[in-house]
Amino acid sequence: MSLCKTRLQEERKQWRKDHPFGFYAKPNKAPDGSLDLTQWTAGIPGRPGTLWADASFPITITFPEEYPSKPPKVKFPSGFYHPNVYPSGTVCLSILNEEQDWRPAITLKQIVMGVQELLDSPNPDSPAQEPAWKAYSKDRVTYEKKVREQAKRYATG
Amino acid sequence: MKSLERVLGPERYLRIRNTSVLMVGAGGIGCELLKNLILCGFGTIHAVDLDTITLSNLNRQFLFRQKDIDQSKSLTVVKAVQNFNYNDCKLEGHHGNIMDTEKFPIEWWDQFSYIFNALDNLEARRYVNKMALFLRKPLMESGTTGFDGQIQPIFPYVTECFECQPKVTPKTYPVCTIRSTPSQPIHCITWAKEFLYHQLFDELEDKTQDQRRQLESETLDRQEIDNLLRESNELAELRRMVLEPGSQFAQELIHKIFQVDIERLVNIESLWRTRKVPEPLDLLELQHELDALLQEPRSQTILVKDTSTWTLLENLYVLIRALESLQKRISSGEESCVPFDKDDEDSLNFVVAAANLRSVVFHIDPKTKFDIKQIAGNIIPAIATTNAIISGFLVLASLPFYDQEPRSRGDFGPVPQTSSTVFTSIRPNKYVTAAALSQPSPLCPACSLSARGILHVSQKDAPTLGQLVEIIKKKYGYEDIALILGKAKLIYDVDFDDNVDRSVLEVAGFVSGELLQVQDDNDELENLEFYISLGDKNELPELVLRQKVKEKEKVKENEENGTGELNNGALEPVEIIDDEVEEPPTKRQKILDIID
Ligand SMILES: [Zn+2]
Repeated sequence: MSLCKTRLQEERKQWRKDHPFGFYAKPNKAPDGSLDLTQWTAGIPGRPGTLWADASFPITITFPEEYPSKPPKVKFPSGFYHPNVYPSGTVCLSILNEEQDWRPAITLKQIVMGVQELLDSPNPDSPAQEPAWKAYSKDRVTYEKKVREQAKRYATG
Repeated sequence: MKSLERVLGPERYLRIRNTSVLMVGAGGIGCELLKNLILCGFGTIHAVDLDTITLSNLNRQFLFRQKDIDQSKSLTVVKAVQNFNYNDCKLEGHHGNIMDTEKFPIEWWDQFSYIFNALDNLEARRYVNKMALFLRKPLMESGTTGFDGQIQPIFPYVTECFECQPKVTPKTYPVCTIRSTPSQPIHCITWAKEFLYHQLFDELEDKTQDQRRQLESETLDRQEIDNLLRESNELAELRRMVLEPGSQFAQELIHKIFQVDIERLVNIESLWRTRKVPEPLDLLELQHELDALLQEPRSQTILVKDTSTWTLLENLYVLIRALESLQKRISSGEESCVPFDKDDEDSLNFVVAAANLRSVVFHIDPKTKFDIKQIAGNIIPAIATTNAIISGFLVLASLPFYDQEPRSRGDFGPVPQTSSTVFTSIRPNKYVTAAALSQPSPLCPACSLSARGILHVSQKDAPTLGQLVEIIKKKYGYEDIALILGKAKLIYDVDFDDNVDRSVLEVAGFVSGELLQVQDDNDELENLEFYISLGDKNELPELVLRQKVKEKEKVKENEENGTGELNNGALEPVEIIDDEVEEPPTKRQKILDIID
């Protein structure tokens, strides 16, 4: 446990010193006035020049007690339209999977960059929801339309 | 001169007569240990345990008798030894949780010169280890499992602590394996106990949402998820039937669980491409024989046949009898629910029979009631002899500490260099093996990444959080800090000053017994962990902080120092029972969740 909080504060510090442009990430404020280091809210900007551009997509990052031995859980709002996002909003990404590519050295910055990368490069091998997955593999026109609509809802500026 | 005095030497004898020690846990090891401590003449001995005595304790926890069942272990144990308390040791039993900071504040811990652990769970072991680190008191850790036993003396910051070696967490199985595609007896037992039994008879919280989420994270097969959720909903129906006496509960349950649900599973073809298709039970076909068995009074004897494997019919018989009995207990209003307990015959019989029937359906070999009891009850065999041997070593290994004049806190003199961790086993040539104590791991989350001390805060004249920050910075030489309270509550850092004008007493969670972590924002000095103690003074512990070593350098440093052990590092077999040879123990296994 003490490893978990030490590391989380370290992540917060590193983020403060250096974070990628257009992103934000901060621990949630608890009702008692403290910051809960295990619950973060972050925003992922869509890459310029992609269907996801000009929008910032909100995610929540939940760190388990065993972090950094075990990975955090990353979620978009439920119903988020993307082939690798479960209906609940949970992101299916190999670096967030303990049995796949998670390593304790992976930083918050790498996680959010990984999620950004996933937006425009879905992984065809791990479908997580029916609608986006079907459209992506069989009906690109509908897929692109839906993604653009979604980006509009999260548009920045 | 008394014989004990001759054995211990007059000076050591006096020190032991005048000291106080703490024994945490009064179970299997605890009973043996207390006997040894008393016969060794320790002046004052405190025993803490939160458990009460059960029937299954009596075979090895020799200080307890039938009449003591349901009594407090710690209070009973101190009474039970009075008839051989030849040295007039002062005994105090405390019935309570050792992690209770109100009952056992840090000042209470400070009265002891040595702490002996006789515990059976990881959480309490971690906690006691932490207390020993805060107070820099020697701690004797112990554990046994079957014929294997270990003792480990811990001298805080000088030798390895309990957390220096990472602990293995227990294995879990994916929900879908348990619910849809079991392939081993353990999967069926887990299903019967954690899922079926739990859903029917245990206390329930509403977990439908959680369940869906967990399922979704594990399988993509929509059809499988929907099917599993439907099963649960139908089970909730059956649970309601438990309350209606005389209903066809048993028959309907068996029909649903081992026939209808399985038929549905068979229909999800994607599951069976690489697996053997399960075979639903055909109850109509079995009904006649089952009725005969149910009407025959002698069938009762099946229930106690616990070392032979029951037939399909016998399992059905046991399941029906267990269901009837459980239903009666609940519908009569005697009990609102019956949580699983390996010593509750009805709940055990239910789990054994249900697990075996499921095994039959999935072409897995059924197990005996005896085997399933071990697995479902998480029973690690406890052997009285191992406990007795280990308890002997516990006390013997503590004696060198009293061979020297008391020193200042945290200074153990040459004792750590000559102390050993001891392993016992029944492997030939490895009955008793000893190994030198290792240095603390430079990456240990408990003892290496942080300094420790007690932070006294006055309840009358408490500082504001902002003042506390300034005092800490000035006293220890930090340039800027972050403060984290308890598990993960950040209450202050350079970017978060919402609370600085509040008195620390108004900061939620700032209470006695809570931990406050100080992290250096500039990464120059090591972290600091305070144990908060509210009282009548403001005082910070006297500590000199070490420069922070970057983790990579630490590992390198450790490699350069060779094995990291205190003396020459060789594992020395102790030639006690077998005098042939010198192979070191197979591996330096660490005391884990080894049992009482
Ligand atoms: Zn340690």
